[in-house]
Amino acid sequence: MSLVWQFVLSQYRHDRLHFWLGVLVALLPAAAGILLLGVSGWFITAAAIAGLMGVFLNIFVPSAIIRALAIARTAGRYGERVLTHDATFRFLTGLRNQLFAAYADRGAKGGRSGLLLNRLTVDITMLDAVYLRLVVPLALAFFVAIALLAVWISISATLFLMGLVFLIAWTGLFWFAYARADRKTARRADAASDAMRLRAADLAAGRKDLAVYGGLEEAVNGVLIADQRLFHAEDVEDRRVDRLNGISLFIGQTFLAVALLVSVWGAISGLMSVPLAAGLVLVVIALPEILGQPLLGLVRLPRTMLAIRRSLITTVDGPQETVRLANGRERETSGPENAVLRFVDVSFRYPGAKRNVVEKLSMQIDPAEIVAIAGRSGCGKSTIAALASRLRLPDEGRIFLDGKDLTLLDEHSLRRSVTVLSQRPYIFNDTIAANLRIADAQASDAELWSALEKAALAERILQNPNGLQTVLGEGGLGLSGGECRRLALARALLTKPDLFILDEMTEGLDVRTANDVLTRFLEFRGESAVLMIAHKQLELNAADRVLQLPQQPARQYAHPA
Amino acid sequence: MAKTEQKKASDQGGEAIATVQGAAAVGQPFPDETKCLRRAGTLLAISNLLWILQAALIAAALGALLNATSGLSELPSETTSFWWLPLSSGFGIIAVALLRVLLQNRASNIARKTAREVQTRARATLLGAAIASSPAASFPASGAFAAHVADQIDLLGPYYRNFAPQSVRLKIVPIVIVLTTAIFSWLAALILLICGPLIPVFMALVGTRAKAASAAQQEELTRLGGTLLDRIRGLETLTLFGALQRTKDEIATAGERFRVGTMRVLKIAFLSSTVLELFSALGIAFCAVYVGFSLLGDIRVGTWSGALSFPVGLFVLLLAPEFFAPLRAFAAAYHDRSAGLAALEKLEALLNEIRSDEQVAGNWKATPTDTELSESLPGFSKPPSIEFVGVSLSLAGRAVFKDLDQEIRPGETVFLNGESGCGKTTLLDCVLGFHVPDKGEVRIDGCCGQDMFFRLRQNVMWLGQSPRLFHGSLKANLLMAAEKASCVQDDEIWAALRLAGADGLARRLPRGLETPLGEDGFGLSVGEIRRVALARAAMRKNATILLADEPTAGLDEDTAQDVIRGLQQLATCRTTLIATHDPAVLKMSGRQLDLYTLREGSAREIAE
Repeated sequence: MSLVWQFVLSQYRHDRLHFWLGVLVALLPAAAGILLLGVSGWFITAAAIAGLMGVFLNIFVPSAIIRALAIARTAGRYGERVLTHDATFRFLTGLRNQLFAAYADRGAKGGRSGLLLNRLTVDITMLDAVYLRLVVPLALAFFVAIALLAVWISISATLFLMGLVFLIAWTGLFWFAYARADRKTARRADAASDAMRLRAADLAAGRKDLAVYGGLEEAVNGVLIADQRLFHAEDVEDRRVDRLNGISLFIGQTFLAVALLVSVWGAISGLMSVPLAAGLVLVVIALPEILGQPLLGLVRLPRTMLAIRRSLITTVDGPQETVRLANGRERETSGPENAVLRFVDVSFRYPGAKRNVVEKLSMQIDPAEIVAIAGRSGCGKSTIAALASRLRLPDEGRIFLDGKDLTLLDEHSLRRSVTVLSQRPYIFNDTIAANLRIADAQASDAELWSALEKAALAERILQNPNGLQTVLGEGGLGLSGGECRRLALARALLTKPDLFILDEMTEGLDVRTANDVLTRFLEFRGESAVLMIAHKQLELNAADRVLQLPQQPARQYAHPA
Repeated sequence: MAKTEQKKASDQGGEAIATVQGAAAVGQPFPDETKCLRRAGTLLAISNLLWILQAALIAAALGALLNATSGLSELPSETTSFWWLPLSSGFGIIAVALLRVLLQNRASNIARKTAREVQTRARATLLGAAIASSPAASFPASGAFAAHVADQIDLLGPYYRNFAPQSVRLKIVPIVIVLTTAIFSWLAALILLICGPLIPVFMALVGTRAKAASAAQQEELTRLGGTLLDRIRGLETLTLFGALQRTKDEIATAGERFRVGTMRVLKIAFLSSTVLELFSALGIAFCAVYVGFSLLGDIRVGTWSGALSFPVGLFVLLLAPEFFAPLRAFAAAYHDRSAGLAALEKLEALLNEIRSDEQVAGNWKATPTDTELSESLPGFSKPPSIEFVGVSLSLAGRAVFKDLDQEIRPGETVFLNGESGCGKTTLLDCVLGFHVPDKGEVRIDGCCGQDMFFRLRQNVMWLGQSPRLFHGSLKANLLMAAEKASCVQDDEIWAALRLAGADGLARRLPRGLETPLGEDGFGLSVGEIRRVALARAAMRKNATILLADEPTAGLDEDTAQDVIRGLQQLATCRTTLIATHDPAVLKMSGRQLDLYTLREGSAREIAE
């Protein structure tokens, strides 16, 4: 509950005016709908009596009212929908931006991009149900119920009591739908759906592996088993929905039968006129449509709550690392001035890991120096690159960049001073110009061409009629592995950092391309110092100094039995 | 011409064929399922039409009340005979209500079950097609495939469950209501008839615009999703270049564009439902006014004979809303239809894409045709020989092999080299049966045929060029290769890991063997995935053939040495084929085959 409440509150705070306006405007068509039937019933009964008795009845006012109500209901419905949807989408767009920002600030860790995408698209879309299917219908039902009770009590206490009983019955049904919400089944359905997606992706990508090892038929069965699990969970949910809707329908119809009897009794005993009695009966016919609405939102609540939880967790979990940065332990901010980069007794351990991957490492890189770090894979080379570029924070020890404590540097100056060239550069599904301007938003076309020239990619791009505006990535120009690396090099050469970090830049390239990319980098790097994570002889040869990391002997850590 | 028609007919009739080959369009219901959906719609309509009975009861009770109070009969409060009618009306309404609830539930159950069957079958069809095409054939991106299997097929649910019964209801209920109304008043029926059919006309006018806008919006959504995914994947790059803030702004702009677009589409959609509401509200209002005037005696037309009586007038008024209710429900379900039809189109396209690579699919079979494999097949108890006899194969119009003749003796180690693109991987795929040669045969111990290849795949250590690890723990991944997963000791797993040089890596993982691996072996580098895959191969200890494709690509020298040592160990007493151009691997003892020259038909063997 608190989660939903928290969510509703945050939407309320986002835009109080529209929050209330949506509810208020929704009242108009609801009231018009009830009155339309009520007045019609009253009118024809009164007309019948007048016709029988031959007395005068002002017919123009009621018939005008009836037509006016018909139009008010229609127009109100349109206004309500536009208003409530607009308010909701404004809020959700803001929420999406917030989620993305929170995720981005937390730092890029791991490849769960598909999951996050689901949060930003599917989950967010589901969240519109909170205001549209819960808040507005519940508020509507509440106000309509209050108004009806007021009208009923002004006519007769019996009528009031009858109405109260049925309104309480509906409230009870809502409470039951909410309190007995089947969260377990919702989670099961969610898990089954995820499993189905993952297994299908595994099947599609690993058909060769499955043909030899797991068995293709078994993989298909795995997906279909998840499908069956989803089926069962959804069946339980849907049956529940049907049951609740059936009960709601039944309450409405019983209400109608009882209202009919009470009205007849009231008219007979002279408590109300016959037209009024007929009007009251017809009002009850219109009620289930309005009072039953919250049920639709309530039965889907478990699913909605899962979506809320997932998205709120992303925002709440988000800023931790940033907090840790800002609280940066109180220390002197300056270190030795002569070094570009300096590690002092740095230790680092991945969350959940059994041992430090970097252990009491001390080193320094002087201006314009090229230092290579070598060692077996798994000895923490890439972690050092991540530490030096502040993608990770050390658990112990300190890192200085140009004599300043790395944890205290602001993001902007840090990114201006360090450029990282990684083994898997990401090429965005965007134009070449946009891909390059990630490094320097203000770079002119001439500067872009010069960078491409330096990376020996200009000719390739020139072949394309769209030049810098050529779209890369999916559905665009496909660059080979080597060309991607060259593009990443061009991007890096647009910056003028104090320190370049090369994380196995030539990994996966053939010898000739690797040589060319490396040579070009060294030629155009200017006065910057270079930290090179390397395992190729080619790279080690280019370094002024090689730092060999020890491989930790296996017996040092416990055998995980 | 006649032949194609015949084929069509047999496709529609043959359910079994449809399931196996997916010959019938994917995601379509069978005739008996269509019947079920129609039945659900009929039940829904009957439940709806029972309202006529209830309306009559209400009208009768209130009519009696009017009679009683207007003094046309004796004073009511003293006669129990008066109360008989309202009371039985009340109970009648409740009894009918029960019946309505039951019918509705029944309809919903039938529709839901039927829709689920169609969905499950569509999934089976897609997955069946995925394994019916050779693993070596080109295939849609895994993400797209998974999205189709999960999301697109999900969209079929509401289409069949909701829209199909509602369209049946639309065909029955309004007509019955108009006819019932017409019995008492042709003018009231005429009011309904005029307001009713006008609705589809106006909705069609608004709807065509809505459809275009909705398609545009769908594209906008895809674009937003694409942009988001792209930026999320490249987040590290963006962070490192300090471009995060700009990206946030960009995402905000894209989100804003999406919001504005969504509202534009919704406004049109709301407009069409407003048209519907307007006509239904006006229809009810006109009916009420007509009935009122008629009762007053101001209007004398509209009935077949005489004036409208109060109960009849009330009855006609009560029926009016139910005339419009199916129209509104249909309109609400209409977008389920558009979504469902769009999904069907996409599924069809995906299926065609999967099946399009027929050239490679060839005679590939995922499972043996004969469940009891014939006894004559090699038992793989000792290393077999591998023979290529006049093998010719062309892929995508390019001849990869032409009359290739080559024999690999039992237990021999052979290195395939040659520059990239000369068919090293294709040759290994031929040995695994993923490719069936256009001409000639690949013989294992003198045998060939799909059943033999199926048996071979259960008896081979294979390390692919880009091995895939699956969702599940490291241990589960390794056990996939074991013959009897339940009797494997952890020691054996560690031995396999050690052999592949991956034991240190496994120890570093946060939960050891139980560490879950995800998409693309989440958290592992390419080299690490390759070593785990080698360990997986090594788990298959009884295998007598070893096939490896570029086993040292992406590994540093030390790790590569570990892997080579492992390969060396595995290669003894196995018929071994290793595709590589790594000089370190070539230092192992064995024969080298330069595929580039072999391809031309003349084998040039390099001395051992």
